[in-house]
Amino acid sequence: MTMPPHWRKLALTAHVTFSVGWIGGVVAYLTLGVAAVTSQDTQTVRAAWIAMELTGWFAIVPLALAALLTGLIMSLGTKWGLFRHYWTLISLVLTVLATVVLLLHMPDVSFLADVAQEAEGARLDGLGGDLFHPGLGLVVLLVIQVLNVYKPQGLTPYGWRKQHEQRTVLLP
Amino acid sequence: MSQTPVRPDREAPPSTPRWVKVFGIICIGLVLLFVILHLAGYGRMNHTPGGNTPPAMGIENVGHTALVEHGGQQP
Repeated sequence: MTMPPHWRKLALTAHVTFSVGWIGGVVAYLTLGVAAVTSQDTQTVRAAWIAMELTGWFAIVPLALAALLTGLIMSLGTKWGLFRHYWTLISLVLTVLATVVLLLHMPDVSFLADVAQEAEGARLDGLGGDLFHPGLGLVVLLVIQVLNVYKPQGLTPYGWRKQHEQRTVLLP
Repeated sequence: MSQTPVRPDREAPPSTPRWVKVFGIICIGLVLLFVILHLAGYGRMNHTPGGNTPPAMGIENVGHTALVEHGGQQP
């Protein structure tokens, strides 16, 4: 079932906002991660970890879940569908994967932010930063964005069957 | 959106596009790289090779990514 045009525009606006916001949140998180790794100042490292935890839980996680939800609404409410085209299928898989890794990773961030609040000197330096997961996550999000903008052609076998069925029904 | 009735000209589904195959190969490579780096310790939170913070730091690496502070509260 496809959405009426005004609902489709609203859903598209929400999806683009949440998706781009997710990318922006990860970039902000990476910036803080770089500060935590490179800074020699104790207060900066501590502040960076606290900000990383807050950014993660209160910006990145909600934006990720909202982007996933609005993506599902957009797929199911438009002609594209969830499993009919390779680009929608791959976008779905990558988004779910990125969200799951994010949700599994955030408790570790919280733990280290707690440690950073109490640690001092060399102990604080030992925390390092968190660049691996957000770096890889950013690459995945950019790939999803490119797929969503370019929409490369290619029907899945399921999509081809559905299209075939529709054409058969339309012909007397 | 109106659809023009078109007689199906193919009975078999089209083959997988080349970009999907290339994308799949790249993804498998990246997943393997991710797993190898994790096993090597580079994906862990403290980002020191091997994932182990020196004991002198007072933080011990336990399990996957959990770091447990110890020695802070001695009886």
